[in-house]
Amino acid sequence: MNYSLQFGQIAADVPYILWGAWPTLWITFVTFFAAAALGLFIAMARLKGGPLASRLAGIWVTLTTNSPLFVVLFFLFNGLPNWGILLSPIVATLIAFIAISSGYLAEIQRGGIQSVRQAELDAAETLGMSRLQMLRFVIAPHVIKTTYPALSNFFIFTMLGTSMASLVGVNELTGRAIEVSSRTFRSIEVFSLVAVTYVVLSLFASVALALVGRWLFRVKARMI
Amino acid sequence: MVDQMSALFTLGNMQFLLRGAGMTLLLTVIGCTAGLIGGFLLAYARGSKGTLAAPLRWGATAFVEVFRRIPFLVTLFLVLYTAQMIVPRAPLFWVAVVSICLLCSAYMAEIVRSGMESVPAPQIEAAEVMNFSRWRITWMIVLPQAWKVILPSAVSYMVMFVKDTALASQAGVFELMFAGKALANRGLDPFLVFATVLFAYFAISWPLARFGRWLEARLARRTHEGDRR
Repeated sequence: MNYSLQFGQIAADVPYILWGAWPTLWITFVTFFAAAALGLFIAMARLKGGPLASRLAGIWVTLTTNSPLFVVLFFLFNGLPNWGILLSPIVATLIAFIAISSGYLAEIQRGGIQSVRQAELDAAETLGMSRLQMLRFVIAPHVIKTTYPALSNFFIFTMLGTSMASLVGVNELTGRAIEVSSRTFRSIEVFSLVAVTYVVLSLFASVALALVGRWLFRVKARMI
Repeated sequence: MVDQMSALFTLGNMQFLLRGAGMTLLLTVIGCTAGLIGGFLLAYARGSKGTLAAPLRWGATAFVEVFRRIPFLVTLFLVLYTAQMIVPRAPLFWVAVVSICLLCSAYMAEIVRSGMESVPAPQIEAAEVMNFSRWRITWMIVLPQAWKVILPSAVSYMVMFVKDTALASQAGVFELMFAGKALANRGLDPFLVFATVLFAYFAISWPLARFGRWLEARLARRTHEGDRR
């Protein structure tokens, strides 16, 4: 027990570590929105596509939701170079994250689309709504309301997941923590700082998502 | 390609990977069992009433909120370094077990809580009027109904969690991913090695996911049949 916590020794590196939140955030945003768009496409293929398209979409969802992201990332970054495909850390990260997340997001959005009842669509048609109006006033509000909690949970989940990118050398929050701790040997201090940063970031994200849901989509989401 | 394949798919290597898969399953089972127990205790503490129990309530809430918001990787490193500070040469397996238990009990606490909240409040109020203690209400009224809601969610969390255990290899714990890395470091084609590891994870995760869906459908059906009676 001859280890004493000395935060003073990492004081100079604190801004550097904290700015790592920026790559964490942008990777999260890019992953989430790209995967959500891809997921919507897959969900539509599964529900409204032909037999082949829906079959392929189903296989894609099964494959992605049952593969560990970390292993996929390692496969892309360490396995492919042997076959002549060299990916930079950030490209490998984005491909792995978007591919895996798209499966989960497709399932969430499929559930949302399926929850729109045929009776509602019939009613909208009776009122003489065009397809666009139906999408805007009937389908979209319904889908957003039912999927919003799951989507915001998944956003937080993605944010925490981005820490894995550090293991292939992306310089985000965890990556910078690993770098500074191997330079200063103040591992506990560095990692507790990073842990607190993740807690603060995800609390902010939760509150922001709940507020956005309340104001834009009238979803009654829990703050925390 | 072919000789690389024959170099990888030897009996010894496959047994090595299989041992790793066994460890992955062991870690998952330990984590989920401890997580269910810890999660139940946390949910019970969070639902306690009265000013005297307030610190307990806040403590449980803080624990759940904090450990659900730290990436598993960071928890793992924190536990690793803290363990090394307290116990020199702490066994890595136990480091992984401790961090898995922390993570699992925080997530399971939310699953258990939402399961317990699914029991209609009038039943609990009725039991309170009959002067049941809180423990007896939980044990005799809430849990016999809540487990049908808790179990499917717990299994689907387990499916997620199997895949998270791959990160334990980063702390040097021997499991499936660690076995894969070891084989790749030995000079075998990393493409084939990690593809095999991916397939092994899929082979664990997929049946478990199917089982979870089957269980959910079955329990839902049984509940509805009970309603009709």
